[in-house]
Amino acid sequence: MARAVTNRRKLVFTLVAWTLALLIFFPILWTVLTSFKSEADAIASPPKFLFFDWTLENYTTVQERSDYARHFWNSVVISLGSTFLGLLIATPAAWSMAFVPGKRTRDLLMWMLSTKMMPAVGVLVPIYLICRDLGLLDSRTALVVILTLINLPIIVWMLYSYFKEIPGEILEAARMDGASLRSEILYVLAPMAVPGIASTLLLNIILAWNEAFWTLALTAAKAAPLTAFIASYSSPEGLFYAKLSAASTMAIAPILVMGWFSQKQLVRGLTFGAVK
Amino acid sequence: MAGPVSRNSELGRQRVRAAWGFLTPMLLVLALAAGWPLARTIWFSFTDARLSGLDEASWVGVLNYVEYLDYGDGEGEYFGLLADPSWWAAVWNTLRFALISVTLETLFGLIIALVLNASFPGRGLVRAAVLVPWAIPTIVSAKMWAWMMHDQFGILNDMGLALGLIDAPIAWTASPDTAMIAVIIVDVWKTTPFMALLILAGLQLVPSDIYEAARIDGVHPVKVFFRITLPLIRPAIMVAVIFRALDALRVFDLVYVLTPNNDRTRTMSVFAQENLFQFDKFAYGSAASTLLFVVIALMVILTITLGRMDLEGRRS
Repeated sequence: MARAVTNRRKLVFTLVAWTLALLIFFPILWTVLTSFKSEADAIASPPKFLFFDWTLENYTTVQERSDYARHFWNSVVISLGSTFLGLLIATPAAWSMAFVPGKRTRDLLMWMLSTKMMPAVGVLVPIYLICRDLGLLDSRTALVVILTLINLPIIVWMLYSYFKEIPGEILEAARMDGASLRSEILYVLAPMAVPGIASTLLLNIILAWNEAFWTLALTAAKAAPLTAFIASYSSPEGLFYAKLSAASTMAIAPILVMGWFSQKQLVRGLTFGAVK
Repeated sequence: MAGPVSRNSELGRQRVRAAWGFLTPMLLVLALAAGWPLARTIWFSFTDARLSGLDEASWVGVLNYVEYLDYGDGEGEYFGLLADPSWWAAVWNTLRFALISVTLETLFGLIIALVLNASFPGRGLVRAAVLVPWAIPTIVSAKMWAWMMHDQFGILNDMGLALGLIDAPIAWTASPDTAMIAVIIVDVWKTTPFMALLILAGLQLVPSDIYEAARIDGVHPVKVFFRITLPLIRPAIMVAVIFRALDALRVFDLVYVLTPNNDRTRTMSVFAQENLFQFDKFAYGSAASTLLFVVIALMVILTITLGRMDLEGRRS
């Protein structure tokens, strides 16, 4: 009896969860569906759900008009580059703040946030001028550096909170056994920090992949990533919704695939310590 | 927390030295690369710089912020940013947007995180589906929604009409009454997953034996949530809210793409952008950027004070 109630509850809960997911996912589904329609079907009223002439014509048009592979490669280089550079700078810093906390640690964490208080439009010109003077306009290097700067605060904050969760007694024990600072970090700390670092890595690849303001402002042809690729299909005149949908689908496909494969790691990494 | 290392021992000193060595690169990078553009923007805000001649800018003091024009007969008028009604409208739009969207996102994020934290068939798929909107570039989601909210071809109106929720098609993004609602809907849709992800992380850190103990003691689940779960995940929520609020207060691309040139949705960032690059009032736009920075800094201090955030990450 009790079991039947529990089962029914579970069924209702599952249905609610699935409905929620479908509602949230619907706009993406709609975009993907639209990308397979002809332009006439795309603006049909009432809208056509599944019963239309499926066509790949939008994809071939988009592929002919712009070089997807190059944009894709730029996105990969920029998001991976900025994430690794960010981790390289942030990991030691987060280690310091978590394990050798000083009086200023709190102020430091707050001060880092201040870089997230300036509107991007406000510092666009000074940064543009620096890039111009260094000859870095339309280069991936400039974007890697800028995205690193933008995401550095959140990388440090995330790593700091993970490192905080690592029990100090283990490090203490290693010290007692006469481990040097180097082997303490390398053999005791690093293995325990890997899940936290991994989830920070994933999160920041996604953040960098999505960034559109700086990538649009500082790139032209050479270094433009996928966000610029989509923007080039957003002409206000004319109705090119099917093509825009196709371009959008192509731009988000890698993230969809990565999100699917990494959601477990992402959640597990973020919940580092849950296994204890 | 790491064990208290005695700062006087040789080992302790070695650690402190290493700590500073590790911190320095980050501090240098942030100070140089983030501080310099900021300093330049603040400097521009005290000049008469124009986009076409940035090098010829000369110092004008606070005239961009406030200027009193004396008409000579005992009357006068204030000009400048602080006396500009459209600036204050932008401030008000931004605060309203940030307050409503971040509140809704926290609420929905919490609900979604609670759902995703339970186990049910197909959880992996549901998790992936729910988290995806956040992984999509804002300009894409803004475009997608602009299309769905289109007054003639949009599916939102079709569905609303079919379900009897609305009587006539609504021009969601163009009508002054609904523009802000449209922006908030899209922002909530896009950013709730980020909130849910961070709150979910906090939820999974709550040891399950606490729930077990509460269940055995016969505590009502609602009470368990408010007395046990919520206090334990408060630090996670606070971090998520702060990062989210910082982004919401600077919101630019979503508004710019979804509802261009709309007085009801013009945020501080959009106001600054228009003055900097479209109206040829670069110094004025710089002043707006500087004030935006000040407003956000004040909001952060307020949030942290009110939320009594424990930055050390200690859990009570």
